[in-house]
Amino acid sequence: MAVSGRDGKAGQDVLRRVGEASVLILISLADGPKHGYALIQDIKELAGVELGPGTLYGALDRLERLGLIDALPADDRRHPYRITAPGAAALRVHLDSLERVSAAGRLRLRLGGI
Amino acid sequence: MPAAAGGQVSGAARATRLVETVLRCYPARWRRRHGDEAAELAALLIRDGTPAGSIAWSYLAGAAREWFTPRPGRRLSTLACALLVAVGSLGVSAGVLASTVPARAAITNHGYRFVHCRPGPSEPVPGVIAGPGRPRVISWAAGHGQSC
Repeated sequence: MAVSGRDGKAGQDVLRRVGEASVLILISLADGPKHGYALIQDIKELAGVELGPGTLYGALDRLERLGLIDALPADDRRHPYRITAPGAAALRVHLDSLERVSAAGRLRLRLGGI
Repeated sequence: MPAAAGGQVSGAARATRLVETVLRCYPARWRRRHGDEAAELAALLIRDGTPAGSIAWSYLAGAAREWFTPRPGRRLSTLACALLVAVGSLGVSAGVLASTVPARAAITNHGYRFVHCRPGPSEPVPGVIAGPGRPRVISWAAGHGQSC
């Protein structure tokens, strides 16, 4: 999956429609593989969001189908997940896009004097 | 104390049973893939103090999403059954509604023929150009600030 560019289909933000949970999972996996419980704890600490286990598995399945994460071989009963190269590229594109929107929002607030 | 410990054990066992029951609502494919892990995750969350009810609810919503999300491998008959159930329940609701309509229609049976209009606001509305000497009115039916 080519998501490294900025324009056209290759650079499109594939994470725009996957939901907040999926983006948070990718951010959590960006520093190394984690299993479900570790993901929930890390996301709670990182973003203050408590993911329900049903939401977690739904998002993990979706990300895996999109090829953005991989399930590693089971360690006991737990499957650790890791971000793939296309997943990291998609996350980068999405975070760039959020940064642009955030900068525009701050600029407009300043211009509006609010 | 032993009685309290016994209560805790039975509470934990009840929570585990509740989660296991809800996990059975997922499709078999999902259970084969995530079932054991999901049960273990629920046990860890319950140990941390997360209410079993909220875990069960989250899994229940996840199971509904799992059944109703179209997948390439999903058999057409399964989807058709789900669709039939949905259409059936809609049909029952429509039937109940239809049984109340004749009574209402007897009272207001010409009410649907005309678009009801009411006077619009006196201040100009962006995007609406008022005709000269003609009061601006807004359609009840359209309800989007359109002139009648």
